Amino acid sequence: MFSLENITQIVHTWLYENMHPTLALMVEFAFIGVLVIALFAFLGLVLVMMERKVSSWMQLRLGPNRIGPWGWFQTVADTVKLIVKEGMTPNNVDKLLFNMAPILVIIVSMVIMAPIMFAKGFQIWDINIGVLFVSAVSSLSIIGILMAGWASNNKYSLLGAMRSGAQIVSYELSAGLSMLTIVVLTGSLKMSDIIQAQETGWWLFKGHIPAIIAFVIFIIAATAETNRAPFDLAEAESELTAGFHTEYSGMKFALFFLAEYVNIFVVCAIGATLFLGGWMPFHVGNWEQFNNIMDYIPTPIWFFGKTFFLIFVIMWFRWTFPRLRIDQLLNLEWKYLLPISIFNILLVTVIALAGWHF
Amino acid sequence: MNLKQYFADIFNGVKSLATGMKVTGGYFLRHHKEKITEQYPDNRDTLVLAERFRGEVVMLHDENNEHACTGCTACELACPNGTIKVITKFDMTPEGKKKKAVDTFIYHLELCTMCNLCVEACPTGAISMANTFEHSVFDRSTLTKQLNKPGSKIRAGVE
Amino acid sequence: MDISTIIFYLIAAFILGMALLAVTAKQIFRSAIWLLFTLIGIASLYFWMEVEFIAAVQIVVYVGGIVVLIIFSIFLTQQSAADMPSPKLGRKIAAAVASLLGLALCGLLVYEYGFSKTEATFDNEVSRIGTAMLNTGSDGYALPFEAVSILLLAAMVGAIVIAMKESE
Repeated sequence: MFSLENITQIVHTWLYENMHPTLALMVEFAFIGVLVIALFAFLGLVLVMMERKVSSWMQLRLGPNRIGPWGWFQTVADTVKLIVKEGMTPNNVDKLLFNMAPILVIIVSMVIMAPIMFAKGFQIWDINIGVLFVSAVSSLSIIGILMAGWASNNKYSLLGAMRSGAQIVSYELSAGLSMLTIVVLTGSLKMSDIIQAQETGWWLFKGHIPAIIAFVIFIIAATAETNRAPFDLAEAESELTAGFHTEYSGMKFALFFLAEYVNIFVVCAIGATLFLGGWMPFHVGNWEQFNNIMDYIPTPIWFFGKTFFLIFVIMWFRWTFPRLRIDQLLNLEWKYLLPISIFNILLVTVIALAGWHF
Repeated sequence: MNLKQYFADIFNGVKSLATGMKVTGGYFLRHHKEKITEQYPDNRDTLVLAERFRGEVVMLHDENNEHACTGCTACELACPNGTIKVITKFDMTPEGKKKKAVDTFIYHLELCTMCNLCVEACPTGAISMANTFEHSVFDRSTLTKQLNKPGSKIRAGVE
Repeated sequence: MDISTIIFYLIAAFILGMALLAVTAKQIFRSAIWLLFTLIGIASLYFWMEVEFIAAVQIVVYVGGIVVLIIFSIFLTQQSAADMPSPKLGRKIAAAVASLLGLALCGLLVYEYGFSKTEATFDNEVSRIGTAMLNTGSDGYALPFEAVSILLLAAMVGAIVIAMKESE
């Protein structure tokens, strides 16, 4: 099976042989930092372009089509525009918090990258509470949104921030419970263990109906947690004039924008890891030959393929469904998703205890 | 809320969501065959606009450079925002009588809202709405137009 | 001094600085934000100690739950953006005395007993926490766990009763 483990291992040993351990650690940190920032830039360019193309194709339009072949360089031009634009700080805002909010949001989405396994043996930190770490740290990004909404000194921003706060706090519950379903089946919170447990088949197929229910709930809750349509009450262009980032411009706005897309990538990567096996190729039980053929496809392709498939599904939601009202949003969570996921987790516990899963 | 209703709600909700996603998913799959938007600057030569589209007011001239405007100023009176100004003169008829006629028909495109009231008010059908729409210019004053062509005169028999 | 010690002192300085800002801030919202950073600092101290589970729980409970609730209630108050008035001199003196006495108590305790080192390895497997939590044996915490659950349930029922509309 294709693995990046050798490469990372070679770099690691080379650094430690030739340098003082502390210095080697620093160099590794810097290396990871550069890689993560490069990934951010890549995601920002690709996901925005993908969003615009998907939306236009779903509405029978052409989409961006002026810059470069079929408009593929549109986002590059947009990035240049955002960088050279003035990042204004309005007069009556709380200047410190106003400038701190976008940085906090982007730092949080950088930190969540840590436990994600991009390919076999290619992971920043295989922390033993991987899944919990992601759900814990992602709850920090709401603070950045609340901070931006309050510091803007603007009633639309404040309303948007409060809506997004209520929304994220409530949808975190069902997202957490549906992630717990897989943790119960695997018996570990560690990302590498969860992926290894899916060697004979992905949990979506191995876990019977409860896993499918959990997957659907996870996708809905992930859409809500990333504040995307149909759950984009926090931004709601038509009623709140973009909510918490009304007052932001230039690169400060771009950081919020980037963080939104990176968060989509992260939740989809978590969904792909938990339910679709992360980098694990498509394996069916004991069909040795079939599994061997599947192993020829490199693991990063599996991981990014699954992740981008889930991103596509979330974009599909956005360009199909109209925005929910706030009461519909809370009804959906507290009357439907939460009771179903609590019942579902009881069911899956019974299945895991009785060993009925494959 | 009874339990049967609850599950029926969930089922119907999921079904209606799936219906919506089927529509957009279908569009996504056949997007390359079907486009509902006009690729405007590229298809300038083949662009067809609806006949009822109102782009600007024009005065109709025939091949002899004759129009049907009698200078009655009905259009000027009908215009809600002073877009039209008709300057009249007095022609001498062969019988030696004075007859009112149009001298200059001034039309301010920059003020016009394309409401079509002037066309409806015209008793002789001298003006109508054209469907040109590329009106952007660098100098505002070029939007003030004279609609009767130089040297044109009223068609014989139009009263 | 190795890098681990340097990081410890950095985290400690961060926690203390943020705590100081939290009590001296003039605006209540800023105060809440500094409190939040203090709690994040404590979570990072747990990460430094390699008790990741406790660190994550610290973030989930304090940062994601309690501070968000505090900020929500600040949003719902009038004049949350106004500067708070400076306290009276008497209160300032009382606060200074109280904090000095607290510092003296802590210092005395540390001076008397110091920090003892144990050679025992630190077992922090998540599954062990789970088993201990639901264990009814001598080293189990099932009873306190259930007692806390009942307390929280009582609080929840109370909140629902308060929020419930009167019938008719």
